[in-house]
Amino acid sequence: MPTITIFRQDLEGLLSGSAKSKPAVTLDQLDEWLMLVKGELKGQNLETGEFRIELQDSNRPDLWCCEGIARQIRIKQAGMAAPYNFLSPRKPPTKQVTVGPGTEQVRPYVAACTATGYRVTQEGLAQLIQTQEKLADIFGRKRRTVSIGLYRLPAIEFPVSYEVVKPDSAKFTPLGMDTVMTLSEMLLVHPKGLEFGGILAGHELVPLLRDAKGQALSFPPIINSRDIGEVHVDDDALFVEVTGTDLPMVMLTLNILAANLADRGAAIEPIQVVYPSKTELGQLVVTPQDLGKPRTLSLSTIEQALGQPLDAREVSQALKSYGYEVTTAKGEITVRLPLYRHDLMHPMDVVEDVAISRGFADFSPVMPSQFTVGGLSRIEILSDRVRDLMVGMGFQEIISNILGSPQLLCDAMRLNGTEWGRLVQVDNVMSQTFSALRQWMLPSLLRVEAASSRAFYPHRLFEAGEVAQPDPAHELGSRTVMVIGALMAHADAHFSEIHSCLDTLFYYLNRTYSMEPIQHPSFLEGRAGQIVLDDGAMLGVIGELHPEVLERWQITVPVVAFEVDLTKLAG
Amino acid sequence: MRRPSPRFARQDSLLPFIDRLTRVDISSLIDSLHPLEIKVLSAFGSTSDGLLEAEQLAQSTALEASQISMAVEWLLAKSLLAVEKETVTPIVSLTKIGEQYFEKYSPIERVLSVAREAATTGKRLTIQDIQSREGLDPSDVSGAIGCLKKEGALLIVQGGCLESTGRPSPTAETMRGLLQELHAGPRELTAFSDSQQRVIQTHAVKRGNAKEPFRVDDRVTRLLKLTAAGMDAAQQLSRQGAGEEVSQLTPELLKEGGWRTKRFRKYTISLRAPRIAPGKRHPYREFLDSVKTKLVSMGFQEMRGALVETEFWDMDALFMPQFHPARDIHDVYFVKDPKQAKSLAEPFLQRVRQTHENGGETGSTGWGYRFDVERAARLVLRSQGTAVSAHTLASGPLVPGKYFSIARCFRYDQVDATHATDFFQVEGIVLGEDINFRTLLGLLNLFAREVAQAKEVKFLPAYFPFTEPSVELHVRHPRLGWMELGGAGLFRPEVAIPLGVNVPVIAWGLGLDRMAMVALGIHDIRELFTDNLELIRSTRGAV
Repeated sequence: MPTITIFRQDLEGLLSGSAKSKPAVTLDQLDEWLMLVKGELKGQNLETGEFRIELQDSNRPDLWCCEGIARQIRIKQAGMAAPYNFLSPRKPPTKQVTVGPGTEQVRPYVAACTATGYRVTQEGLAQLIQTQEKLADIFGRKRRTVSIGLYRLPAIEFPVSYEVVKPDSAKFTPLGMDTVMTLSEMLLVHPKGLEFGGILAGHELVPLLRDAKGQALSFPPIINSRDIGEVHVDDDALFVEVTGTDLPMVMLTLNILAANLADRGAAIEPIQVVYPSKTELGQLVVTPQDLGKPRTLSLSTIEQALGQPLDAREVSQALKSYGYEVTTAKGEITVRLPLYRHDLMHPMDVVEDVAISRGFADFSPVMPSQFTVGGLSRIEILSDRVRDLMVGMGFQEIISNILGSPQLLCDAMRLNGTEWGRLVQVDNVMSQTFSALRQWMLPSLLRVEAASSRAFYPHRLFEAGEVAQPDPAHELGSRTVMVIGALMAHADAHFSEIHSCLDTLFYYLNRTYSMEPIQHPSFLEGRAGQIVLDDGAMLGVIGELHPEVLERWQITVPVVAFEVDLTKLAG
Repeated sequence: MRRPSPRFARQDSLLPFIDRLTRVDISSLIDSLHPLEIKVLSAFGSTSDGLLEAEQLAQSTALEASQISMAVEWLLAKSLLAVEKETVTPIVSLTKIGEQYFEKYSPIERVLSVAREAATTGKRLTIQDIQSREGLDPSDVSGAIGCLKKEGALLIVQGGCLESTGRPSPTAETMRGLLQELHAGPRELTAFSDSQQRVIQTHAVKRGNAKEPFRVDDRVTRLLKLTAAGMDAAQQLSRQGAGEEVSQLTPELLKEGGWRTKRFRKYTISLRAPRIAPGKRHPYREFLDSVKTKLVSMGFQEMRGALVETEFWDMDALFMPQFHPARDIHDVYFVKDPKQAKSLAEPFLQRVRQTHENGGETGSTGWGYRFDVERAARLVLRSQGTAVSAHTLASGPLVPGKYFSIARCFRYDQVDATHATDFFQVEGIVLGEDINFRTLLGLLNLFAREVAQAKEVKFLPAYFPFTEPSVELHVRHPRLGWMELGGAGLFRPEVAIPLGVNVPVIAWGLGLDRMAMVALGIHDIRELFTDNLELIRSTRGAV
């Protein structure tokens, strides 16, 4: 989840609000406070006062900025949240954004407001840009569902229109460029066009924001106009808009931005969005708007989940000082989230906030007391027994990656195009080295042997572990099988040596087996056998590795090996 | 052929032995002598004055030169022998070039012979003629001409032509004689006359001039003498007779009782033992085994799952919305063929779908999006051990019940010192009527104490998509200081209820890689799966 940069001075300023004296933030205190926001201090620069903070909660985008962190701390200190007055304006909005027909095909929703009276500072601008990026990138899924634009308000004449146009029919100078270009050209040459153009792929008409004079504000979700859509330090009147494909997410994003600007001292003026037809919030939608719905839950739910008796007053106090609106009735509690949150899915979400607000240290740990019997799975017991026996026979255990390369799993084993060469392969390959699950164990052992010619001989290696064998009849297309693979390598390595080990292993497992000659490309012909149980089940192979295999692995001593399917053996 | 090497073949390990020499008596010293040393000592003992040269030793012991020099070095180190005198003798031998000169004559002989031949035929002869005819180096030719001219055997006449005077060249004759003599074998320099020695010195290889026929080397001969202790030892050896010592007790000696009349050579037992490679568990696996044993002892039952999973069990069943960032193509490995599972188990699919869309029966609002069943069937490499827990929840687990798995998981990560592409996750669940936030903290306390031997713990709020509340467990490890040991929480009802579980469930996971790396003394996560056998063999592992 996002890691953001905030500045000590900025945080101190936001914490003090209108108060004159700024509290100095100590590191201990910051650690304590960060527990309120599931934040972790990742780094700091004492000279610049820079903190790098990772925010864990992907459902709390309101916390991915200095304003949000400061707000949660401030509410805790005050014991309750101060209401945002823009949510209950004295008169209806005077400014409008009109939505044109056809937007519903591409990017249906828009929310906007103005913010005046806050003179943008250097730090404030950095936070605005960071918040815009984090919200659009992570919450807005790389601008696909939500993107944000900020503009200089004085240059805009209302009403603003949000409509779809032919990409060749509109032109303006985008941010980062010096010349006027059409929307098509922006998609082709502008870095943001190249990065985010995919979102509009397949659409003949694309979104455009224009003001009443017809001048372009931006081409959402790609790029703003350089003339209007570039905010500078000392600007004190802004226009903020959010567009996207999901109405609740668009609304929430604007609510967060409005709260952030209000926290910095701006007066927020809501805007009326006029849709061509009815949305789930109606045809005329005032933004920002508090969409939170009250939810009622029983106190006992909270007490049971936390394992601690709490009365209504305690719960109410905990939630109020975490930003909730709370009313209590007999044994019940009705809560409402603040406008910048939309993450109450289940009463358990409230339970966690009670715990966080009171502090985890408030809950003393209790041991689970119910009796249970521990134990290992059958296959693990068998595998442990086999491992013990192999160790007793002088074998060194190894552990390997299960992900490997087809080159080593098949080509190097002479298995290409054979029944033994089928693999579970990765579709989105990052590196060939890790692009297929091993279908058998011997390549894992040969990997170590090939790298260890300097370790003194003899080499006796084994690994007990999982492999994935393709099986078209299986529901998942493959079966996960536990196998044991073992090899011996030294100048006089011989079939009978490894056969003795296999034989000893089966003796102590109290299983009888027989051996049938097999033609297997990885082994020398006439020196390979397949291991067969009494009931005819094929358990594995044993033999002297084919010289060509050894050559491909660049191994210069003879190698003998066996591999046994333990899953089958366990039955 | 393998050299007969004594048990204490290491030079450095002799040092403590020498240090003790003054304090041990002669007979215990003799007992520890190597057969080669005994032979050499006896050879000295049989001389009248205790003086011998190495060459003489070869005759009297019938040992090879290498064996003699080994034994002499040991005896010198033990101060049983001392160097009486060191003589340096210059020895002359032929170089490769010298051997060629012997076969094909030296430049001076050839120049002289060509000049004489020209004199008989009356041909004019220039220096260039000689060079091209004889294929000689210009510097060799000019050197030879200079010498012949000086000796009066050659004249340079008008036009740079050469003429033989018919007079002999002492140098050429001396050279011929030397080449013949030395071809038979190296000889001492002093065995030659002064004039011969002069020729040898002029034509010996020196620094900067390797192209000469002779080489003069200094041979160092040591006259060795028994020390007083050596004398004692040699006398005692001759008294007790060397034949009775044996180095190895044999079945024959035991059967026939012959051991009673033998002496057994004493070993220097302070020496380092030769290395062997035992059969051994892998140190990382040993660490995981100890965790496994610990969990079983705490009442946890092992669960297992498949390496290939559906997105349904890996993520949907864990209430991770299908648009969750961690489900991106850049976070999970997808299977190439087949791309989808044949089917997904009901009633779980329908229940999970409803829970995602509107909360279903769980009392949740759900995520409010259209659940894609096709997507749920997609096959991935298991990305989290919690998938195994989800299967267990759906298969009618015991209540109360505790379960764990040590599952191999796969992440779409660039591999480096701290990121592995496949790795073990230690995860599990605890089900029971008594499960709540405080028993969750109690369980984490237990893990801290039992798994990390930590007495101090911190619980921090955390976020996992499938638990609420969620906790991060930080412990003060006895060696590592404060570290994150794991994450846990109560499964969201959106996870447990659709899978048929109606009691509270703790989901927990431990991050043990860092502890394992410290226990194994490695700093790179890739070394947990190293291919370096020497490293695996030499790692002690967690004790």
